[in-house]
Amino acid sequence: MTDQSDILPVNQSMGGVSDQLTGIPLHFPAERRWLIAMLFASLLLLMFMVSVVELFTRGVGIWGINIPVNWAFAIHNYVWWLGIGHAGTLISALLLLTQSEWRNSLNRFAETMTLFAVICAGIYPVLHLGRPWYLYWMFPYPATMNVWPQFRSPLEWDIWAVLTYLTVSFAFWYTGLIPDLAAARDRATKRGWQIFFGITSLGWRGSAAHWLRWSQAYRLTAGLAVPLVVSVHSEVSLLFAAGQIPGWHSTIFPPYFVMGAAFSGFAVVSIIAISLRSWFGLKNLVTDDHLDLLGMVLIATGLMTAYGYVFEIFDALYSGDAHELQTLADRMTGAYAWTYWGAIVFNFIPLQALWWRIVRRTGWMLMLISISVVIGMWLERYMILVTSLYRDFLVSSWSHFTPTFWDWSTYFGTIGLFLVPFLLAIRFIPMISIFETEELLHEEKEEEHG
Amino acid sequence: MTRRRSNHVGAKPAGPRLWSSIEELSGDPAFQAWVDAEYPAAAEFTPTARRQFLKLMGASFALAGLAGCEKSPFVAALPYVDQPESETIGVPRIYATAVTFDGYAQPVIATTWSGRPTKLDGNPDHPVTMGRSDVFMQAAVLGLYDPDRAQAPTRRGEPATWQDVVAAIALLRGSWSKDQGEGLHLLIGPQSSPTLLRQLDALRKQFPKAQIHLHAPAGGAARRDLMAAVYGQPLDLHYVLDDCDVVVSFDDDLLGPGANQVRNARGWAASRRRSSRQPGIRLYAAESVPAATGAMAGARLMADASRMAVLAEAFAAKLGISGAASGDLTPAEQGWIEDAAKASNAAKSRALVTSGSYGDVGTAIWVARINDALKSAVLKFSQPVTGPSDAASLGDLVADMRAGKVQTLVILDCNPAYTAPAGLGFTDALKQVRSTLHLGLQRDETGELCEWQLPLTHALESWSDARAVDGTASIIQPTIAPFYDVRSVHQIMAMLLGEIDPAADAAVRQTWRASFGGDFDARWQQALYDGFVEGALPEVSATPSGNAKSEKPAGKGLDIVFRPDPTIWDGQFSNVGWLQELPKPLTTLTWGNVVTVSPALAKRLTIANGDNLEVMIGDRSVVGPAWIMPGQAENTVSLSLGYGRKRAGRVGDGLGYDAYGVRPADQPWIAKGSLRKTGTNETLAVTQLHHRMEGFDLVREVTAAHPSLAKQETPPSLYPPWPSAKNAWGMVIDLDSCIGCNACVAACTAENNVPVVGKDQVIVGREMHWIRIARYYEGEADAPRSFFQPVPCMHCEQAPCEMGCPVHATEHNSEGVNQMVYNRCIGTRTCSSYCPYKVRRFNFLDYRAPPQSPVHAADNPDVTVRSRGVMEKCTYCTQRIESAHAAADKENRGLREGDVVTACQAACPTRAITFGDINDPDSEVSRLRRDGRHYALLEELGTRPRTTYLARWRDGGGGEG
Repeated sequence: MTDQSDILPVNQSMGGVSDQLTGIPLHFPAERRWLIAMLFASLLLLMFMVSVVELFTRGVGIWGINIPVNWAFAIHNYVWWLGIGHAGTLISALLLLTQSEWRNSLNRFAETMTLFAVICAGIYPVLHLGRPWYLYWMFPYPATMNVWPQFRSPLEWDIWAVLTYLTVSFAFWYTGLIPDLAAARDRATKRGWQIFFGITSLGWRGSAAHWLRWSQAYRLTAGLAVPLVVSVHSEVSLLFAAGQIPGWHSTIFPPYFVMGAAFSGFAVVSIIAISLRSWFGLKNLVTDDHLDLLGMVLIATGLMTAYGYVFEIFDALYSGDAHELQTLADRMTGAYAWTYWGAIVFNFIPLQALWWRIVRRTGWMLMLISISVVIGMWLERYMILVTSLYRDFLVSSWSHFTPTFWDWSTYFGTIGLFLVPFLLAIRFIPMISIFETEELLHEEKEEEHG
Repeated sequence: MTRRRSNHVGAKPAGPRLWSSIEELSGDPAFQAWVDAEYPAAAEFTPTARRQFLKLMGASFALAGLAGCEKSPFVAALPYVDQPESETIGVPRIYATAVTFDGYAQPVIATTWSGRPTKLDGNPDHPVTMGRSDVFMQAAVLGLYDPDRAQAPTRRGEPATWQDVVAAIALLRGSWSKDQGEGLHLLIGPQSSPTLLRQLDALRKQFPKAQIHLHAPAGGAARRDLMAAVYGQPLDLHYVLDDCDVVVSFDDDLLGPGANQVRNARGWAASRRRSSRQPGIRLYAAESVPAATGAMAGARLMADASRMAVLAEAFAAKLGISGAASGDLTPAEQGWIEDAAKASNAAKSRALVTSGSYGDVGTAIWVARINDALKSAVLKFSQPVTGPSDAASLGDLVADMRAGKVQTLVILDCNPAYTAPAGLGFTDALKQVRSTLHLGLQRDETGELCEWQLPLTHALESWSDARAVDGTASIIQPTIAPFYDVRSVHQIMAMLLGEIDPAADAAVRQTWRASFGGDFDARWQQALYDGFVEGALPEVSATPSGNAKSEKPAGKGLDIVFRPDPTIWDGQFSNVGWLQELPKPLTTLTWGNVVTVSPALAKRLTIANGDNLEVMIGDRSVVGPAWIMPGQAENTVSLSLGYGRKRAGRVGDGLGYDAYGVRPADQPWIAKGSLRKTGTNETLAVTQLHHRMEGFDLVREVTAAHPSLAKQETPPSLYPPWPSAKNAWGMVIDLDSCIGCNACVAACTAENNVPVVGKDQVIVGREMHWIRIARYYEGEADAPRSFFQPVPCMHCEQAPCEMGCPVHATEHNSEGVNQMVYNRCIGTRTCSSYCPYKVRRFNFLDYRAPPQSPVHAADNPDVTVRSRGVMEKCTYCTQRIESAHAAADKENRGLREGDVVTACQAACPTRAITFGDINDPDSEVSRLRRDGRHYALLEELGTRPRTTYLARWRDGGGGEG
């Protein structure tokens, strides 16, 4: 990137960037808008809590699930949230490893987004359980009866995949945050903030030894995180692919899911980037060039996802399996055809506008396309789950699925569960990596001068 | 009986209170009075303190209840198989007895645990059941524990005691004896009980002018009226299907629900299996409303109900019977008649022609003449098994009531306020009767209107007797002491006869003392042990009388036919949750009834399933939801009886529409009427939404020309095969024998404590049955072929579910049974998602009955009651496998063929289900697995199911196959 052009305007001072970014949590500039957003998010969170109380009191029967569609919103939204989460890791870790410095303006909030999206995703398998209080049976602990988890089960793999991913994401996010926490500590004027940032910055003094160790640790975690993105979402796809249900039982699923995850994740990153930069006036740090790059990544992952769609159809046709063909026909023309065509339209039609540079560089246009992709990917997961289950092998078990109020309230509630900590994070944590932005700025300046 | 309420718990017997909560007890005024008397200090307590006190005292009150039990009217109730020295907790006792249906005995063996019956099965030694059941027999045990039963006598809705009843009867008897019983009328449902019939005779001896009326809204009585018109005498028909080669049915659902179902289905299946190269019996069915018989028929003709007489006459003409004229026939009718005639001529005396119970006289006349001409040796006659034979009709009673001739009306075992045709005006006429007594299990619509409601004992808590459809008598012995303050019908009849405090078994003993003679005690004990008294009713000969007249339904319009409901019958089982939730054959509807219309009519009137239709007959109408029935005759509309009840109880109230409301009194089965859409619609609780096979070979067929299916290769598996223990369980289901009757589903429900989830849950697709009867159509909707396929768990050897569960909650055992470990299940539902057969059921909510509900008494203690959030499914009745193992181990031997019989297998009237050890090459199940018709469902998936199928025979009309 650096040899092309500068992604950050070079006519700004390092101290200015530091002040600007640490100033956001310390002297919050958009108190009113933040409060309104927080109120909205808290209401959603409240709805989530009410839904969960209802759920735990009465059972998963408050949802619309039945036999045969006994997996629906819980698994559906689990996959959706987890997919969103992946983009943060990809942006941060993959681009760090490939030394794509343009990431530096985006990685912090992308990682933050990952963290909270994974929490939203991770809570769903718990809510999904018929008897959630026995969740711990999925862990290998020394039970008195010597019962172990069943290691052939994709759900068991899933537990490990998500926990590993959450741990590594957190480690990566936190490692990356340490120098900035220190910067915030140094600028904090109130006692409380000083203590808070003092503890969380783990005694960072910015010595060369610190930077060396830090850099090693950071790159090492990144090196762990990148394959995890692939493995975790591949594993998630095995929840489906390991079953024999037509529409699920396909080897295309792991890459198809990973691409879809990255696709939806980059869309959410775009949404957040565009919102934050207009919210906090960060156009000097999250530039149109950033948006341009995001747009390119979006269309690239989108086209890869589209490839998955094409190959899914090809697979079914090529196999000639009557049940696979039945499911394909059900998807395209059945009762839930709107999810299939909805997914195609929302995912791929507005996306084509990104071929134009002007669209990629215009915040609101990229925003709309990203929202469309998020909806499209949500519909895709709905489609994969419901259209496969509602009509599987035996005609006599064919049925329908209709989400209930509680399905929706739990789902929208998790958006609150995502937004509340995210809003808290942008309120209290430097949302753009200060030192990395400065590093990039410094490099750019050096190039300019040198 | 009075001794049971002498000391404890006020005026109520104490035993029944064991079933109730202490909270319920504390609300009872009689109980409070007793507490106040026993513990005067408690009367001063504040309500909360008093409640606390009652809770603390619960144990001793319960003991008081037990004390009541010891004084139960159990007298010499003999266990069927063995008579233990003393009750062993955890070991069931089995009694031979009977329950009744449509007046007939259904001979059963009742499994009781610590004195409470939990499961009924057909009596294996009885000539009619031979161990088989139907849905009504299976569900009878739940009727016993119905919390909405009448629990004590009431007078005008106010609680009364039996002393009050005795006093009132004494008063009534005084007035009856003044004028020889003038003004005393009894209205009863059909009865086969020798004791009751004897008591009725005795009553008429005491009061010669008393009159008895019979009211049967559905069932065998309808056919008897037809036979009286045709043969000049009331007769019961007996089909000897075992020796039959060809059956030609004119709208006779001989394999469908009814008292004869078990017998006919058994004979049908036995004949069908006579040869391994072709079906041993052929069925030609002309049908207006699709039913089991048409579904099993090789050649089914669709014809309107009012056309049956024409077809029967044409068939007679084809056989060359004099006087018969062949009318204008369609090519389809022509072809069907030719084929049926050819087959009948070939079968000669081994052919049987039948007409429906609910058909017209014209058809019955021609069918009788045809059988006579064929000299059919497979049709036998006997005197009617149920009676009383000389009873007057309900119409006569209403006329008498209107005329003010009825002073006292005793209504016994029927519910005319609900089941009488609305046009009769029974309820209005009832207001003119001074004294009314209703004897019934429930304070139903009729009990509500009567002065006295005298609660009856359930058959399972009664001493009584009854005859099965062939006339073989069973002595009904109680399997449990009555737990409400109720009396048997014989006790109440004895009261009416002037006896004071009659013992529960006195009348029954008296009846049989006369017929057993000198050796009474031994024969009585033997009869109780066997569950029946050898000897069917003697055969009589009958020829159709020449001058029988047929009448055509008056008026123009659509044929509106009435049918009893296949699961709740005429409404008497409305409050039995098991039967409400049992999918009705062919429609798979639960919790309601529909107006079935033909696809052609639906197209003409643009009707969709669930659209509300107004059916009008004369000036009466009723509104019910439509169901488009593939294979229904174009201009026939079918209404099913039994719904729209208002006083059935908490389960059965307010469901469906009341077809009695439009039923004409003079045309109870076929009437002319019209139809219109109301513009509203409703959601129907059906368990199967899609009915075509969509080109998949789920149900396979073979023909006589190709009696074997092509063998498929079993795909390889990643996982090695499981090592097998000595026994390896497998099940084979013969699709050629399955008549879709649901007895297996009901039996499984009873055996495995399968919960009832209710209409709303069925609508969202959460019914819990462990075995479902899949029903498929093939061909055009106008004239489809119908198939039944029972689908329990396949117990796959390479089970996708086992691989999916993260916590080992579903596991393979060494005998090849795929097991559910309920207490290990955390409810991820992965097993169900991965199950290609979707046979698993999930407790989405807490489906258990409320803790204080008496229906828990029907629970099988050998089977865990599942809590919410837990997956469940067919276990091959693992509890039965284990107890068979235990029994064999005690005798230090291996398991033998027949040691393990699953509940569904035991119940199946056609023996379509075979279960056994596939490691034993000589077992029946191994033999069937080698049969040419054998196949596995979705075998291409490599799941290697242990439950497999035998293909159905395809035997078309034109001698094909």
